[in-house]
Amino acid sequence: MLIYHSAARLGGPYLRFKTGRVWGSLVLILLPLVSDPAAAVDFEHDIRPILSDTCFRCHGPDENSRKAGLRLDIPDAALHPEQGEPVIVAGHPDRSELLRRIESTDPDDLMPPPESGKELKPEQIAALRAWIAEGADWPAHWAFTPPVRPAVPEAGVWARNPIDAFVEDRLKREGLFPSPEADGFTLLRRLSLDLTGLPPTLEEMQSFAVKNPDLAYEEAVDRLLASPHFGERWARHWLDAAQFADSDGFEKDKPRQVWAWRDWVINAFNDNMPYDRFLTEQIAGDLLPFASQSQRVATGFLRNSLQNEEGGIDPEQFRMEAIFNRVDVVGRAVLGLTLQCAQCHTHKYDPISHTEYYRLLAYVNNTDEARMTVYAASEEAQRNEVLAKVAEHEQDIQERATDWEAQLTAWADEARSEPQPDWHTLELAFDDDASGGQKFLPRGDGAYLAQGYAPTRFAPKMSGKSPVETITAVRLDLLTDANLPRNGPGRSIHGGGALSEFELRIAPVDKPFETFDSWERIPVASAIADVNPPKQDLGPEFPDNGKPRGYVTGSIQMAIDGEASTAWTTDIGPGRSNRNRYAIFVLADPLKVEPGMQIGIRLAQYHGGWNSDDNQSNNLGCFKLSVTDASDLPETAYPEEVLAALETPASDWSESQQGTLFSAWRSTQFALAIDNLAIESLWREHPEGTTQLVYHERRDARETYRLERGDFLQRAEKVEPGVPAFLNPMPDDMPPNRLALARWATDRQAPTTARAFVNRVWQHLFGVGLVDTPSDLGSQGSPPSHPELLDWLAVEFMDSGWDIKALVRLMVESATYRQSSDATPELLERDPGNRLLARAGRFRVEAEIVRDITLAASGLLNPEVGGPSVYPPAPEFLFVPPASYGPKVWNTDDGADRYRRGLYTFRFRSVPYPALQAFDAPPGDAPCTRRTRSNTPLQALTTLNEPGFVETARALAEKTLAEGGTSDAARIDYAFRRCTARPPSDGELATLHDYLLRQRDRIANGGIDPTAIQSAIDLPTSEADPAELTAWTLTARVMLNLDETITRQ
Amino acid sequence: MNSPLEGPRGPAIARRWFLQQCGVGLGAAALSQLLAQNAAAETNPLAPRAPHFAPKAQNVIYLFMAGGPSQLETFDYKPQLAKHSGSLPPESLLKNYRAAFIDPSSKLLGPVHKFAQHGESGAWVSECLPNLARIVDDLTIIKSMNTDAFNHAPAQVLMNTGSQQFGRPSVGSWVTYGLGSENRDLPAFVVFSSGSKGPSGGSANWSSGFLPTVHDGVLFRSSGDPVLYLSNPPGIDDECQRDTLDTVSTLNRMRLDATRDLEIATRINSFELAFRMQTSAPDLMDISNEPQHILDLYGAEPGASSFANNCLLARRLVERGVRFVQLFHEAWDQHSDLKNGTMRNCTDTDKACAALVMDLKARGLLDNTVVIWGGEFGRTPMVQGDVADGRDHHPNAFTMWAAGGGFKPGTVWGDTDELGFNATVDPVHVRDFHATLLHQLGLDHNRLSHKFQGLDAKLTGVVPANVVNGILA
Repeated sequence: MLIYHSAARLGGPYLRFKTGRVWGSLVLILLPLVSDPAAAVDFEHDIRPILSDTCFRCHGPDENSRKAGLRLDIPDAALHPEQGEPVIVAGHPDRSELLRRIESTDPDDLMPPPESGKELKPEQIAALRAWIAEGADWPAHWAFTPPVRPAVPEAGVWARNPIDAFVEDRLKREGLFPSPEADGFTLLRRLSLDLTGLPPTLEEMQSFAVKNPDLAYEEAVDRLLASPHFGERWARHWLDAAQFADSDGFEKDKPRQVWAWRDWVINAFNDNMPYDRFLTEQIAGDLLPFASQSQRVATGFLRNSLQNEEGGIDPEQFRMEAIFNRVDVVGRAVLGLTLQCAQCHTHKYDPISHTEYYRLLAYVNNTDEARMTVYAASEEAQRNEVLAKVAEHEQDIQERATDWEAQLTAWADEARSEPQPDWHTLELAFDDDASGGQKFLPRGDGAYLAQGYAPTRFAPKMSGKSPVETITAVRLDLLTDANLPRNGPGRSIHGGGALSEFELRIAPVDKPFETFDSWERIPVASAIADVNPPKQDLGPEFPDNGKPRGYVTGSIQMAIDGEASTAWTTDIGPGRSNRNRYAIFVLADPLKVEPGMQIGIRLAQYHGGWNSDDNQSNNLGCFKLSVTDASDLPETAYPEEVLAALETPASDWSESQQGTLFSAWRSTQFALAIDNLAIESLWREHPEGTTQLVYHERRDARETYRLERGDFLQRAEKVEPGVPAFLNPMPDDMPPNRLALARWATDRQAPTTARAFVNRVWQHLFGVGLVDTPSDLGSQGSPPSHPELLDWLAVEFMDSGWDIKALVRLMVESATYRQSSDATPELLERDPGNRLLARAGRFRVEAEIVRDITLAASGLLNPEVGGPSVYPPAPEFLFVPPASYGPKVWNTDDGADRYRRGLYTFRFRSVPYPALQAFDAPPGDAPCTRRTRSNTPLQALTTLNEPGFVETARALAEKTLAEGGTSDAARIDYAFRRCTARPPSDGELATLHDYLLRQRDRIANGGIDPTAIQSAIDLPTSEADPAELTAWTLTARVMLNLDETITRQ
Repeated sequence: MNSPLEGPRGPAIARRWFLQQCGVGLGAAALSQLLAQNAAAETNPLAPRAPHFAPKAQNVIYLFMAGGPSQLETFDYKPQLAKHSGSLPPESLLKNYRAAFIDPSSKLLGPVHKFAQHGESGAWVSECLPNLARIVDDLTIIKSMNTDAFNHAPAQVLMNTGSQQFGRPSVGSWVTYGLGSENRDLPAFVVFSSGSKGPSGGSANWSSGFLPTVHDGVLFRSSGDPVLYLSNPPGIDDECQRDTLDTVSTLNRMRLDATRDLEIATRINSFELAFRMQTSAPDLMDISNEPQHILDLYGAEPGASSFANNCLLARRLVERGVRFVQLFHEAWDQHSDLKNGTMRNCTDTDKACAALVMDLKARGLLDNTVVIWGGEFGRTPMVQGDVADGRDHHPNAFTMWAAGGGFKPGTVWGDTDELGFNATVDPVHVRDFHATLLHQLGLDHNRLSHKFQGLDAKLTGVVPANVVNGILA
């Protein structure tokens, strides 16, 4: 017996197993299905699925639906009950009540009851009988105990590594033999597609062909594992599981920027980040000590949930929906378990209770829905340069104005003498009608957070009772909040907002909002604010839809000038806009507020764009209104950090306090106007960065409750974070947060994490997982086809330090992987789904790879890795009503971005990209761990007729004419190899040549008009002869449409 | 429980293919015996399948009035609401009631359109729907519909998939999953969209969810190429396209012989179907060959994109054996402009809806086609807006109607309270409606299931649903 301890690298001990190919030529036709009548019944394979599917619903973990107090999901209750007779008497089927009931002919007695719609087949009853007769062996569910490394079966000469030993062992038992090794062309293409999603180049094929086959193979594995396209290929699998898409979903389905996370995943795979760290950073990167930008971006993983911002929603309802979804993602993508059922009630099949579900949920519940600013490396450098230059310029001022310290101190003394009145916060009621569906959520500190639908032009009305008897001024604080874009304080894509007009009124409390316009208007005499940007036109992010309005933003005066078209904004450009701001509105005359009166305020916000189904709002995001009765009011509104620094006497200023005050001082100095202008222009060089939806731990922990039936309005008892008892225990040395959750999920004792991942890697390389229900390793999932192999791989994976590339290498270096995918009649008969692995998998590639192969074959592919999602040509009607709910922006890329890999195509959840959708790309509505592989006429129409595919045919033709030799045969060979990575057979060559000749004939006799074909293709005019180019375009189109071209075999 | 050896196709199919295609030398008797055993096996996932029991209907045309039509301005006549217009609703009604936009305690608003009784059934229909009023004896009007959601996207997705959660299979995909399609040249589940907006849930409304993706609804355009990429690329004529397909098939067949991968056989078949679709779809779309009186009946115009054209196309699809056709018309969200907006929406749809029912009836197709009309929720008896001309979303009560397919014609089912607030008599929840629709197609909603996340997932979900026998003939 041979035991293996580690995933040895190439040239390791596996090679010695490869001595020959003895079984390849053996074909045994019509071998009877081998079944050993003496074989013991396998509980996991034969019995648990019956019990789970048929009995657990009423006799399972859920106490509320349990009938007759009987459990059949745990052995003790059935075999050794605390009281009464056991329903299963081991070794005695005829004394077992269970068997009597399932064999009963009396419908009142029969189990499962007829009304359940379930019925046991005779062979299932026979299996249960045999199992009881054999002693009713009832091991714990295979996936719920940590895997232990099984012994590797003795291997024959075929085996290259332990994988093969397990596979061969099973094949032997089934009386089957492995298939011969695939030919080199097939192997290289298979490997290239599996590892990078791109076919091999002609040069790679050439170099592969001339080397010793094993050496060439090992070199190819090395090269492909190191390719930057490896990360792209494997990221896409993970993106499916995380339900990635570039938009919010639901009605508005607004674009969101989440590509930074997508790139993080690509980089993680390329850097071969250990899987435990890969999970930890994605679940809790923000909670790691000194979390880097990258680690915070990683938490975008759990932010791929849909977000509903249609008008009239309760934000809490859909926040909860998103949290449910994140638990589902953790379950299916990380744990390989379906937990969703326990959202509404205790799981009927797996031992997770309703309460346990909410305890698990509590770990991911304590988050703000944050959208952080992210700087690429070049932007970070640019940002640092701006900051350095500003500092340098200020240094320069100090060097020139040698008395600056005295001036600053004098200025500070004056500023310090400004009166700072007491402000009394208003508790507000909002007019639902005028809010247009936006919801103002009280934050608990007197501030209101705008959530839900974001109208782009509206004038919300609010009212409150005055806490003072006389009002001399009203203060509006605009506050940052982690739930706003870039932290706010506004709701624009920059986190900015604009106040078009501030309006103050007073009326008796019984006056409803409908009468607001008749409430007494209180004139505002003046206003100050701590930011007063120069007058500026609205930016292109707030478009006018072809009807220019001439709206501008600027200083606080614009909020009290009676002009709807002018507004005060907090947005002074990237780098320094996402901070608290405030304005003070001074009343013309002190306002006496009699008891029984209410203050009415209208905050008009008309400075958004035209399309409220897009990210065009420019609303205030979080604000607080307060009043004062002080008669002594400030004349200047200093920013809060200036006021804070002023509290310290000049002699005690820290360097940063002095810096803050210096900046504030110099910006007010007329003598420094030129310097101030120069510094302002430096700030305009500050990069905008992109944004990324991330997890962000709330400061005040949110309480989690069990929700009856999963209804957010039906709170039951409060629950504390905790993990289900049937899984590994939570390490007790951690505070109960997401970091603990990550540590728990990646614990060596976590029974399903490694199994779930190695199973999916297996699925991607072999076509079907060892468990063919990859997101359900629980009792309703399928048992593994090779349980020992699965466990061996899981342990090997963990022992290797969760080394993903080593795992992939181990699999692709196996003889099992290297088999031919050609089926023999016998194998088709015996094992049509190829679960026994007597051959390699042959399957159509994923949607994105269909595109990638076609682009690569044509030479059009732009292999650039990463960056914002792109907009290749698409039918325009899809992005406007009535195909789309609202108009969507799809600015078709010109140039190289048209030809980026399918992975980068922008994905609107509600309007899937047609060429990807046709080939089963998931829409991102739910985690997807296993894609459908359909084979439909719509796919044929796509590859035959879609303009992009026709473009690739023409490009391939051009390339063939230029580089494919001079004879027809050489050219067909060239183009064919670009599509399939192998030379055509004589028959294929002849068939293609005949086709080419027929097209030439038809072109020559006018049956086909080359101009009509070529002029419709959106590529630069070719220098090639149009007739010849067209004949070859058509021939290339045939090759690009072959089954083999889009199949990995 | 399937044996792990059984992939999506059982060994039987492989055996049949192998015996047919590979001509292995079996005795003729043994061969024919094996073939007979497997005669039912079929590789096309959309091949017609037997229902659970004898069906009343084979096809469905679902006229989805997206946005939430006001039942109080169409079919649910409430004279008492008119009487109480301007007063506040009783507090008892508002307990646990949530509204989308308005303060629930807003004043009641009487119907803004006039009603009259029509037909032998004496059903009340508003002045906005004169054409439907004329065929009211062919309709089964359900006034007691209710749902769980009151925001558009979740409510539409609930109405179409039985769940507010995205990612579930739609009614149309469940139906084609259960029954396949009679037409092999056209998609089994066809979707149209008209109106001033698209459906709120987008493609999730016709998604196959966790069912195989072949059950996705296919979005058709009502003019031009109905299916994306249907036409040959410019300059490529049918002869060239045919030659291309033949050459592709010849080469694919060579690969099939070498690899024995059945998927290649399916792909050859898919290309053939695509070619047939290229012929049959334009023929389907060409309504210029319809007689003028039929075009007039619907208000359809060759070349136009309209709800009326879509209705006519729906009939043509059903005639061709397409299983499920769904028309979305989104414009019914009358938060304001209730009076004119409702009238406008009705005018845009009323004539064509009635024409569709009449036309199907005249052709004898109504007996085996269910026509459904309805939105995702109703509208509040309370007013929205300052000018007494709007209603908010309302999940507690709304109206739908069905015609044909064994629904009891000339029936008004269920009722609401005097203010039209709650469905009080014979309430029909969305899941009951789904169960009833499946029932008419010969499908038991409890048995039409698909293994997903370890559960036998169903359209009607986990809460028990009931077939509404009272509305069935």
